[in-house]
Amino acid sequence: MTNEDLIKKLEETSFPEIEISSHKRRLRTTLLNKYFQEKRIWEVFSILKKAIPVAVTLTILAVLIYNYLILPEYNLAQAREIVLKDPRIKEWLEEGATIKDVKILEKKAYVLVQPASIKETTIISEPQTPKIKEEFFGALVEVDFKDKKIAKIEKITPEIFPITEKEKEKVTEIFKNSPDIKEAIPEETKIVKIIPTPPPRLSIIKKGDSVEVVPEPNGENKVWVIYEQNKKQWESKVDLDNGKIESTNLVGEPGE
Amino acid sequence: MNLEEEKYLIERAKKDPEIFGKLYDEYYPRIFGYILKRTANLEVAQDITSETFLKALRNIWKFRWQNISLSSWLYRIASNEVANFFRKKKYKTISLQETREPVSNYDLLAETIEAQEELKRHKDFLDLQEKILKLPIKYQEVIVLRFLEKKQVKEIGEILSRKEGTVKSLLHRGLEKLREKFNATN
Repeated sequence: MTNEDLIKKLEETSFPEIEISSHKRRLRTTLLNKYFQEKRIWEVFSILKKAIPVAVTLTILAVLIYNYLILPEYNLAQAREIVLKDPRIKEWLEEGATIKDVKILEKKAYVLVQPASIKETTIISEPQTPKIKEEFFGALVEVDFKDKKIAKIEKITPEIFPITEKEKEKVTEIFKNSPDIKEAIPEETKIVKIIPTPPPRLSIIKKGDSVEVVPEPNGENKVWVIYEQNKKQWESKVDLDNGKIESTNLVGEPGE
Repeated sequence: MNLEEEKYLIERAKKDPEIFGKLYDEYYPRIFGYILKRTANLEVAQDITSETFLKALRNIWKFRWQNISLSSWLYRIASNEVANFFRKKKYKTISLQETREPVSNYDLLAETIEAQEELKRHKDFLDLQEKILKLPIKYQEVIVLRFLEKKQVKEIGEILSRKEGTVKSLLHRGLEKLREKFNATN
């Protein structure tokens, strides 16, 4: 058989024109009965098709709002609540300290408690001068959210903001040349400590997996100088920029 | 029915079941006939026709006019269903609802038996169909559509989602293979 013969055969074969009318009628009835059911399914599907992108967008938005607005606020509030329960912190706050900064790092919060102002005469002094009491400069409180408790309280000392050797030399120079000092204080007095004035405001910064307390620049470059002779102790506030001594006070004497 | 009329009717059929019924009346004989030519089995042809129109009903709401006629779309569904049947070698029977008219199961059975007798009288067709059935499905589809349904190559391409060149090549190779079957018998 050739291709032409085959094509001729295919074209000339008579095909049955069969129609089963009872099947046609019954199928028609079935289809029309299902019509509204299918239409409803399609309408619901169409609504869902339109609603899904909206729902996804809203969910993403809700997650973002929760993560970036609600959760941080909630964590801050929770950290404050935990901190306020501690009797030491409560005492500091009652004395006028405030919560200056809070930073959330993973499952921990770091709360910076700082006094509203630091008295000019309250400085940590040498151990041999016990009359001068240790004052509160602030504290960094670590709050563990998992256990809902304070993990650590670290007191802040002015030493954490060291002054340079050059600044120390400058202070010594100012003292040697100051007529006021020469007049008010005996010559044999010795400088025992130079402490930078506590900055008016501290803040917490995130540094990798930990945090660090840093001073916020206040534009001042002043130090406290503590000097003593025969257990007598004086303190002076020195402006390093102007090379001036702003104040000098006697802060302790034996037997007081 | 021209394409514009068809387009208009499809849009109306999405809202009005009677219009869907009208389209069904228009296409049922062609689709049933095509499936019968592919399977040469009346019961299977009835089942596949039922499934084809049920799928069409489920999907008519998302039918978009994309240069493919409703006819081609229905042929496509039917072709896929026939292919499923040949792959699985079985087909689920769809239970059809009774009509208000007195058409009993007995009537349907009697009509089917009568149709089977009619089918047996077309010996040439049955011989041809027997040989076509021995070919892979992809050749069966193009040969039946081209020579038994008298479709143009372009339309076959629409139905089977194939390029015209591919259809031509399938036809060429299909005919070769069919000719081999005839020659082997003779």
